[in-house]
Amino acid sequence: MSRLRGAEPFLVAAAALGSAAVLFIFVPLAALFLLLDPGALAEVASRQPYAPEVAAAFATTFTASGLSTALVAAAGVPLGYLLARRDFAGKALVESLVDIPLMLPHVVAGIMLLVAYGRRGLLPLGIEDTFWGVVAVMAFVSAPIMVDTAKAGFASVDESLERVARSLGATPGRAFLTVTLPLASRSILAGAILSWARALSEVGALLIVAYYPKTVNILVLEYFNAYGLRFAVALAAPLAALAIALFAALRVVVRGAKD
Amino acid sequence: MLRIESLTARLGGFTLRVDELEAARGEYLVVLGPSGVGKTVLINVVAGFIAPEEGRVLIDGRDATRLPPEERGVALVPQDYGLFPHMSVYDNIAYGLRMRGLPRAEVDRRVRETAGLLGISHLLRRRPSTLSGGERQRAALARAIAVEPRLILLDEPLSALDPRLRASALELLRGLHSRLGFTALHVTHSLLEALLLADRIGYMEGGRLVYTGTPGDFLSTGYAAPYLEEARRLSQALSRLGAGP
Repeated sequence: MSRLRGAEPFLVAAAALGSAAVLFIFVPLAALFLLLDPGALAEVASRQPYAPEVAAAFATTFTASGLSTALVAAAGVPLGYLLARRDFAGKALVESLVDIPLMLPHVVAGIMLLVAYGRRGLLPLGIEDTFWGVVAVMAFVSAPIMVDTAKAGFASVDESLERVARSLGATPGRAFLTVTLPLASRSILAGAILSWARALSEVGALLIVAYYPKTVNILVLEYFNAYGLRFAVALAAPLAALAIALFAALRVVVRGAKD
Repeated sequence: MLRIESLTARLGGFTLRVDELEAARGEYLVVLGPSGVGKTVLINVVAGFIAPEEGRVLIDGRDATRLPPEERGVALVPQDYGLFPHMSVYDNIAYGLRMRGLPRAEVDRRVRETAGLLGISHLLRRRPSTLSGGERQRAALARAIAVEPRLILLDEPLSALDPRLRASALELLRGLHSRLGFTALHVTHSLLEALLLADRIGYMEGGRLVYTGTPGDFLSTGYAAPYLEEARRLSQALSRLGAGP
């Protein structure tokens, strides 16, 4: 890396455009916290009729996103391992399939989940307006992130380490638990944090599949429509703070991995 | 100790063929050949990571052809040493002992004994990333020797070292072998390693084992000619520069 020099027009142009991008992202973040009205915050946090539904929405959001992340990790980490280590028929197809939710418009993802697992779906599980519907939506949109980061993590572990472990007497399972998994753990943790953040941010598919039980995102939308910006900001700011905290945790994890 | 019979193994488009290869107990067998000739494939077949299409691998008189790697009693030292980066040198050496379920005190005794033998007792608490190339090689050897394997598989164990370290590592391997008497299958592209270490030399060409014999006999075959020619040129160049023997 070299320091910017004043005389190079290309670097000046890049710095100018880059600064514009940084400002574009920073201004809304600053605005949200600047416009946050402590009075409105206190009201949504403690007054009737807001407080109970706000508390319920936060509870739903946390438990559903937490469960979604756990489920996605439980299934996604083994899948990531298989994709990183084994060749099998249809592997490319599986890899593409897993990534499709990343490309879908969120509303479309919601419709797909509805026709798949809704009351009249192909597999009629009746997920409409249920807690498990919320979990299903969150898992659907965040699974690709978990699988892809776990896969990259496993792929970065030198296969000869597993071979040495096996030759020293470890069964495949013990070699995985003592060598491969610890070495991929930071990637897996990073994947889980990213999946969690993705689950927290979902709203489009929730509007279609599970408006109820209300998550915080749905409530922000409702407050914006019913009570205006002041109340929407009071709900949105804590959510933004949480997302930033998650992001900070991710940075710590990723930086640790480089050391 | 190790016996390979009419073996064919395929990996992608590559085919390895070994009609017969044998190492008696305590023998140091070096398989020599240029890069890309299939030496690492041979190591992986013996270790159990590549299943042969035909033929048998016998270890200690037992047919190991279908045994999983962890039941073969061989210890692998891969080309880059394969030290576990998230464990201390101590835990690396202890790994195989713990996998065998040895009691903690016995693990500790054998780790310290092996580390002493290799002169790395002062490095036991270090992580592999903080070791020099020579120290890493010693740690990897210690880890392999600690489990007292039936057979040690060494995949180009000296090629990552600079020439100065390579000479002392050669001496180290010779010393360890004469002291411990383990059976070794060592693959390399270096004739010097083969001549200094081997009780018996195998030569590979194009995926086939084409020769086995004593180091002395190997030198009189055509396979040794290019190596000897190179050695002759080196010696000529050295004497031209006044640095020769």
